[in-house]
Parts: sequence; C-alpha cells; structure tokens
Amino acid sequence: DQVLHIVPETFQQVQHLQLLCSTLMLDLWKPLLPEDIRAGEDLHIRVPAPLVQEVKDSLDQHLISYRVLIPDVQKLLGESMPRERSSHRQVSGGYVYTEYHPMEEIYQWMTQIQKNNSELVTQHILGKTFENRTMYYLQISQPSNKPKKIIWMDCGIHAREWISPAFCQWFVKEILQNYKTDPKISRFLQNLDLYVLPVLNIDGYIYSWEEDRLWRKNRSPYENGTCYGTDLNRNFNSSWGSVGVSFNCSSDVFCGSGPESEPETRAVAQFIKSKKSDILCYLTMHSYGQLILTPYGSTTEPPSNNEELMQVAKEAAAALTGKFGTSYRVGSTALILYSNSGSSRDWAHTIGIPLSYTFELRDTGTHGFVLPANQIQPTCEETM
Amino acid sequence: RAMELPPSHFPAARAAAVAMGYLRYLRGGPGRGLELRELRRARRQDIDDVGHKYYLELELEDVLDKDRTVNCTAEVLYHLGSKTSAPDVQVTVQGELRSTEEADEEFYNWIRSLEKELVAENIPDSHGNVPPELEPIHLLAWVASGYVIWQNSTGNTKFHLAQVKHVKQVKRSDEDLQFDYVLLLHEMVSQELLPWQVTLLWHPQRGARVSQ
Repeated sequence: DQVLHIVPETFQQVQHLQLLCSTLMLDLWKPLLPEDIRAGEDLHIRVPAPLVQEVKDSLDQHLISYRVLIPDVQKLLGESMPRERSSHRQVSGGYVYTEYHPMEEIYQWMTQIQKNNSELVTQHILGKTFENRTMYYLQISQPSNKPKKIIWMDCGIHAREWISPAFCQWFVKEILQNYKTDPKISRFLQNLDLYVLPVLNIDGYIYSWEEDRLWRKNRSPYENGTCYGTDLNRNFNSSWGSVGVSFNCSSDVFCGSGPESEPETRAVAQFIKSKKSDILCYLTMHSYGQLILTPYGSTTEPPSNNEELMQVAKEAAAALTGKFGTSYRVGSTALILYSNSGSSRDWAHTIGIPLSYTFELRDTGTHGFVLPANQIQPTCEETM
Repeated sequence: RAMELPPSHFPAARAAAVAMGYLRYLRGGPGRGLELRELRRARRQDIDDVGHKYYLELELEDVLDKDRTVNCTAEVLYHLGSKTSAPDVQVTVQGELRSTEEADEEFYNWIRSLEKELVAENIPDSHGNVPPELEPIHLLAWVASGYVIWQNSTGNTKFHLAQVKHVKQVKRSDEDLQFDYVLLLHEMVSQELLPWQVTLLWHPQRGARVSQ
C-alpha cells in the first residue's frame, strides 16, 4: 500500500479527488472526510496496493500532481504482517488457533472443547493407531427429535501436512463460536451433524514433530522393522494397489500389505461403513496445492454424479477465492494431479457417499508443507 | 499442429514447473524470487522422433514485489525416452522485472564482510519461519533448486523445493560467493523427499551458476 501526498490546485481537481476517494473507498489520512478536501491544502491518502496503478493513472489523466509519502506501508509496519489484513492472534478460551500444536495439546484441546460445549459436542473413540494411541473424533450435533444427515471431515492423514489439523481445529472453533449468532451455521446444525477427526495419522504427526518434519506415512514397521510406514491414503479399499502406488515399504506411496492393512485405515473405514447411509458428504483435508479434488484417482472415467460433484466444488472454489483472491483448481485427481489408488476419498464414494472431496490447502509450492503459522488464519478463514 | 491443453490438468502444470525452475535459475537472485501466479494457457506438440513440446503462457510474480505480475512465454521440450537428458527450455519475459541492484550489492558486501563463513540449517524451520536476514540465502536456494528441477524433470515428475536442509558458505579467492546447499526436493508424483547437494556460485553482476 502507498500513501500519496497531493495538493489540489483547482476546485475541479478537488471534485475529482472526492469522487476518486468515494468510488474506490480510499483511506483518507488527511483530512478525514472527503468533504473537507480543499484546494491549496494538504491531502494524504492511503491507496491499497492493487489500486495504486489505477489511482496514479487517474491522477495523471487529470493533471493532478502527487508525491509518494510512504512507498510501502506494510514494510513500515513490520515484516510479519500477512497480506490479508486480519492478522491478530486468534486466541479462544486460552487456545491459540494461529499456531501449530503438538499432539499432546490437541488431545487436551479436544477434552476442553467437549467440556466447554457439552450441549453440542461429544468426543468419541474411533480406534487405535499402530503405536496404540487413541483416535478420537468430535461429534457436533444439535439435540433434535429429527434424524440428521452427517458431514464427515478428517484431517492429518499425512503427517507433514500440518495446516490440515490446524484447519480442523479452526473449523470446530468457528462453528462453536458462531452457531448461536450466525444464521447460516445455525440452519446448518438444525439439519446436519458434523463429525470431525482432527488428526487421523497420530503416530505420523507426532513423528513429524519429534523426528522428521517431512514424514508422510504412518509408523507401522515392515521388513522385520527395517522399514516404516504405509501411505494411509493408498491403503483404502478402492482399486487398492492398482496404480500410483509402490509395494516397496521404503516408498512414500507404499500402499501397505493389503487394503485396510493399517489400524488407522480400519478404524476410519469401519466407522464410515457403519454410518454410510446417513453420510451426505465426506471431506478429507490435505496440503499443499490449492485444489478441490473429486473422484477418481485410479481412472479418468468420471463418477456417476460427476456433474453435481463438479458444480458443488466449483461453487466452493469460487466462494474461497472470493475471500482473499486465493485461487483453487477443481477436478478429478486423475486429471489434475496424478493417478492413484486406495485413497479414502475414492473409497468413500464407491461405498455410496455421494459428495466426496479431497481439499489440498495452501500453498502451491512456495512453502509447500512448511506453511508459516501466519498463514493459518487466512487459510482457515477462506476455507470456512 | 499444437493441441490446446487445459492449464489446470497435470501435464501442463508439470511443464510449467520445469519452466519455473529454469526461470528461477536464470533470473532469480538473493533479492528476487519468482513464483507462478497462474498458468494462463498451454499447448502441446508431439514431434516425431524428438519428444513432446509444450508452449506455455505464464503469469509470474516476484515474491518481493507482489503487487504486480509479469507475463512470460515458455517452451519446454521433453526429449523422447531420454532419462539422462534435461528438457530444453526457452523463456521470454515480457516486461521488466523489479531491479535488484541495490539489494544484490548490499547482500554481496554483507557476506564478504563476514569473518566466519555463514552456516544455517532448516530454512524455513518446522513452523515455516525464515529469519529475515536469511531470506536472501533462502532465495538463492530457489535459484539452486531451479537448476536441479530443470535438469532432472521428466513428464512424470513435478518438483518443488521443500526445505533447505543445510547451507554453508565457502570463501573463495575470486570474486564469486559460493554456497554449498543440501536441498530437500519434494517430488509430487512419488511423494518422495529427495536430498540434493548443490554448489551455487553467485556474483551481483555475473549472476548465478551451479558448479558441477
């Protein structure tokens, strides 16, 4: 953003400047109101970065001379301001949502969330990880006498994609903070239950905090303990082992010893199967890439309800872009990314869940997996 | 004879990543990091006995000058069957990139003035942070990784720099700066993290080159 210093010389120039300020809604630093702009008096306006060229062109056109008082407002205010100006620490109930949290803290967070919102939230056990850690999901459900359909969202199937569990936590907070006051959210909860699994691959997530930040898979041992980890998103029973996988444990896309060979996969699959007739939408959150991916990965053959899937996804992408201008691509994994088999999203669709999507959150490679914490807020806000 | 491709589909996206690698190597520096804002258009031509050629229209941004974008056209030729030959890339940047003369001189003088050779690791760190004084070193890593990505890409790969594992400055008797990098490259199709050692030489007027 730039601050321009102008001394209008004629009444016509004053009029033009007043028009400019009000149509572009520019930030007047001096004077405070457009009606107080006077010929012969100092005018200081802050012009948002995307409008700088347009404003300068307009001034040139009207022969209004100007001087750049502050060439870069953001620089003056300090380095770590994200471009979207909503950068205050988001602390709610003592929990900092604009930071990444280790698993211990996420476990504590879940307990707190249920305690503080017991009228709406219940915490349930899904199963256990290979290293015997308990997998919990949160059920957000408004008491009602009518049966409700379910939206399922899981985060953190891949350990290194830290922005994903951060989003699940943010999502829960947003819903619980606003369901009483936001009409959209309250209508949502009248008709739908939300099931959120904040970290699916708990062992892997912990490993990425303690040992290897860029670890992807779970931590089950193979080959006599000389090799670790199955790619959980190649381990589901959807054309398992057919394409885009490796049968070698040392690969990052090792699909396991068979479909659902991993306890984490089984825990999720069993649960979803048991509720499948009520689940309307399956969402799984990943990073990076800025994509909304539809089935399938194993074939370019479109699913039966492809039109509906694409329409909903396109509307979601448009809404997302509308927030801060972040652009998302939409389409099937097989066309947009690569071929793969055994993904949770494909499996959910094949067992009958109509709307099934993989979200690849920010960014497109500048930071990749190590997305700075100051992007948690804008990423989560636009994705909401 | 060139087929129009959807820019959102992976074949065009992979070719664009190669073009970006080449661009970063050619035009990047401690004061300039080029990012792909958007792939606007892509066409492909299959040339008998030669390979596949992509014609791309890219919209670039300089991460240190994000308010504007610069357009660029690129041609990426993947050679047929050749696993050892790098793709041929040609780029034409339309318009001016922001000048980095001052920042380059400042950085050059700072490094030359250091008594102890600079050493750093994990850039960015686990939480995505880069200390401001190391940002030029980070951007030079983009230059180095650009070379590696250009040289090692095929139609079945898409590389991004995941992290600078380690960097060590090596003082030289000539005027170049030398940085020995250990880079972690993320390959999207295999999902592998590949460590790569690269030695980068840089000079404010002469630019960057990878030393083999």
